[in-house]
Amino acid sequence: MSNQPNEIQNVDEMLKQPFDFSLEKNIEYIEQIIKSSVDFHNRRFVFHAARDIKGICFYIEGLVNGDHIERFLKTLMVTAVEIREFSDETLLGPQLLEKLKENLILNSGINIIDKFEDAVNAILSGDTIVFLERCQKALQISTKGWDARSVSEPETEVVIRGPRDGFTENIRTNTAHVRRRIRDPKLRFDPLVVGTRTKTDINIAYIEGIVKEELVEEVKSRIQKIKIDAILESGYLEELIEDAPRSPFTTVQSTERPDKVAAAILEGRVAIFVDNTPFVLIVPVVFWQFIQASDDYYSRYWVGSFFRVIRYIAFAISLILPSIYVMLVSFHQEMIPTALAITIASGREVVPFPVLVEALIMEVAFELMREAGLRMPKPIGSAVSIVGSLVIGQAAVQAGIISPFMVIIVAITGIASFAIPSYAASFSIRILRFPLLIASGTMGILGFAAVFFILVIHALSLRSFGEAYLEPITPFLPSDQKDILIRVPWWKMDKRPHLAQGELGRQNNGQMPQPPKGGKVSVNKEQEQSSQDIEKSSKKKRTWRSNRDEE
Amino acid sequence: MRNKIKRLIIFLLLFPLLAGCMGKREIDDLAIVTAVGFDQGGENGKVRITAQIVRPADARGQTGAPSGGTGEPIYSITAEGESIMSAMRNLGRFSSRRVFWAQNFIIAINEKVAREGITDIIDFFTRNHETRMETWVVVTPDNAGKLVSTVTGLEVIPGSALDKLFRYNEIVAEAPRTNIMRLEESYLSESTQPILARMKLRNREISNKKPEEFGSINQVELSGTAVFKRDKMVGWLTPLESRGMLFFIENVQSAVVVLPCPGLENSEEKKKVSIELKSQKFAVTPRYEAGRVEFDVKLVTYGDMVESACDESLDKMKSTLEQALEKELTSEINSVVQKAQKQYKADFLKLGEVFNNKFPAEWKKLKGNWESEFTQAKVNVKIEAHINSPVLLVKPTKSWKGGPKK
Repeated sequence: MSNQPNEIQNVDEMLKQPFDFSLEKNIEYIEQIIKSSVDFHNRRFVFHAARDIKGICFYIEGLVNGDHIERFLKTLMVTAVEIREFSDETLLGPQLLEKLKENLILNSGINIIDKFEDAVNAILSGDTIVFLERCQKALQISTKGWDARSVSEPETEVVIRGPRDGFTENIRTNTAHVRRRIRDPKLRFDPLVVGTRTKTDINIAYIEGIVKEELVEEVKSRIQKIKIDAILESGYLEELIEDAPRSPFTTVQSTERPDKVAAAILEGRVAIFVDNTPFVLIVPVVFWQFIQASDDYYSRYWVGSFFRVIRYIAFAISLILPSIYVMLVSFHQEMIPTALAITIASGREVVPFPVLVEALIMEVAFELMREAGLRMPKPIGSAVSIVGSLVIGQAAVQAGIISPFMVIIVAITGIASFAIPSYAASFSIRILRFPLLIASGTMGILGFAAVFFILVIHALSLRSFGEAYLEPITPFLPSDQKDILIRVPWWKMDKRPHLAQGELGRQNNGQMPQPPKGGKVSVNKEQEQSSQDIEKSSKKKRTWRSNRDEE
Repeated sequence: MRNKIKRLIIFLLLFPLLAGCMGKREIDDLAIVTAVGFDQGGENGKVRITAQIVRPADARGQTGAPSGGTGEPIYSITAEGESIMSAMRNLGRFSSRRVFWAQNFIIAINEKVAREGITDIIDFFTRNHETRMETWVVVTPDNAGKLVSTVTGLEVIPGSALDKLFRYNEIVAEAPRTNIMRLEESYLSESTQPILARMKLRNREISNKKPEEFGSINQVELSGTAVFKRDKMVGWLTPLESRGMLFFIENVQSAVVVLPCPGLENSEEKKKVSIELKSQKFAVTPRYEAGRVEFDVKLVTYGDMVESACDESLDKMKSTLEQALEKELTSEINSVVQKAQKQYKADFLKLGEVFNNKFPAEWKKLKGNWESEFTQAKVNVKIEAHINSPVLLVKPTKSWKGGPKK
């Protein structure tokens, strides 16, 4: 125990050292740094018996693809024959490595490294390291390959119309999803590594020329400041870089949808990919983004705008409906229309609790059911909902514990909160509901207004990576209104949001489609030409085919 | 930052403590009053008020609610007091719930109370923050307590039935739509005298169980007007006079005028035509010449012939009928002007207001003496009646047996 810190110091020191000349020494070092484990393999081989060139490769089983290893070992075997005829000079360590690097054509990524640190990192991330006798360098061969979940539909963000692929746990697959969508040479993925123990890969994606450079710098500097042992999910990173850590509002967006990330990057935002999680972070974010769904952009703009308005209503309902009900029923009965007041009163006739308590009971019961339904194994989940709806909806009213009106209010509130596309945002709204509810249940409209204004002022004070949280409503930016309350048609969205810099133009003006004048579809000459070409080529094809038939 | 949040949390935690002192009352702790009646108390000078209170469990128009009620949608209680406020407080002696006035639909004032003065009622209902300004106000020759505690109409809650009587009474157009706000307005006005609608209990409902006792159940009728001078009621207007008055103070949406068939005015055979007035343009132009106040009243009305027992088609009767209609309306309006000027000497037709708008400077001189000026003012009524269409039947409805001649 006593020599442990000493040992660690040694390991740190060892990591910084270059490789030794002697193979045995290198092996010893590596085995000291990477503690022996069942999954840590080494494979010794003799390369050139006469000249005593031995080698060893290190890899971690499970992280490597067996095929890759087999492939390079095969190549080594083939080259070994060749090597026997090499001159002595070529057989010296470094030259041999160079030669090998040239010969190992069957493997994709090959590097020559000369430090233990690089070697260890490479081994732990799934590469294979080959050491040779009398050589101060080593070969790093990319052999990564492990079992990963295949691409599937994102479960938290479902769309009716739109791509169905979602991110997976593999960062390379994830970046590829975005790269496939944006075939722009200016799209960049900058690598970073966070986590002293996990060494989690983090990629920052942006398009040069669209994004503000300061923004990228800011994101990078915030991530680089993080000193933590582990990053297991992008949630860690989110909490470590967000602007308002104590706020109930989230100032970083996370998404499972590649199309959302691509859209955000094209608007001049920055996406942060974290390895081992399908959730990609997008910064900066404004509040309204949480109410926009990908569907808005893929369905026709009438539909998109309508459902966006519906979602704003849902947002308002899920935030304030229970508070308004409680406030009216326990303080401001004069504001309820008489017929409604009597109906509410008749429902409450036998209820033994004050409205506020009733509301809290129901809200908590609802959250309970939602949480239970979420945590349950799927086959049991339906049982929860049946019991929940029967017990809470029916029996509680019949028993006279809860008034039917309250059940309706809580149900509408619950449904409305599910209509908010962003899960994170709907959580913060759910939480904010409770202070509003308590304030309006104890102080009426005064309490409601007070808490609501605190919330609004707080939201106004927030920034997300330099952008005001409630932008572009406050501060009001007329040019960015096209995509907030409603979604204007694509042919009207001429410009990117002001967040972007440089080339703000998105498309040419006046692209609104129009039928040609006179009502006839006229074919202009070029088109005619090209259609003739197509005809010709198809004729050619036919002839070619017929030739083949003859053959 | 941390301190701020701590403070905020403490502040939020203190909210529930404040609740004890605030005016919190759950909706089921309230006795919701939907109608209130004012009568004279047993002793001299006392006020008796009767409140119609909803019983929510029974007033809900459907089953399924947990109820243990009597089946009666309302619960009426009455109390006396030296003043309105004390009488209202005395209601609390009987009511297990806090009496809540904000949902009140109607204030019924007994004729005797009205004749003694209603200043206290106007004051109370406008001063109090719980009462609404659009509560209807009526005068009844009956016992107001009886009026408000009568279960009436198609509505579950009688109060809302009375409310709807007012809402849809423009079809009848026989009573002004008077609420506290209008009452207050005319009461405070320099010229206009207040008027209130009249409600009366009449045996008009027929029991389903005992139809032979025709009209055995009381129903509330909204028809006629009570005229006030300052705060005291001075008399009634008949339904017909009320309609004449409504031309002046409201827009008459629809009214039915019955005329005899042309040529049959004096005959034994009582064949009649009904004209429904569809749209009216009414204008009062004041004139001030040589120290005399005059008013030109001009009414342009368009109507349809909605019923006719005559043998002629509208085309032939049109001009005669229009003349008869003009005459009828002229006498209707004249009668109410007569009543205002000669009988009650009260300007409830808002003529003073019209005059004030046109001649503000002259009004300042005249307003002190407006009552006598008004009673001496000449009112010229000019009617222009048009009968537009015979609706769906162009030809007269008559028996054609025995040939086309009569």
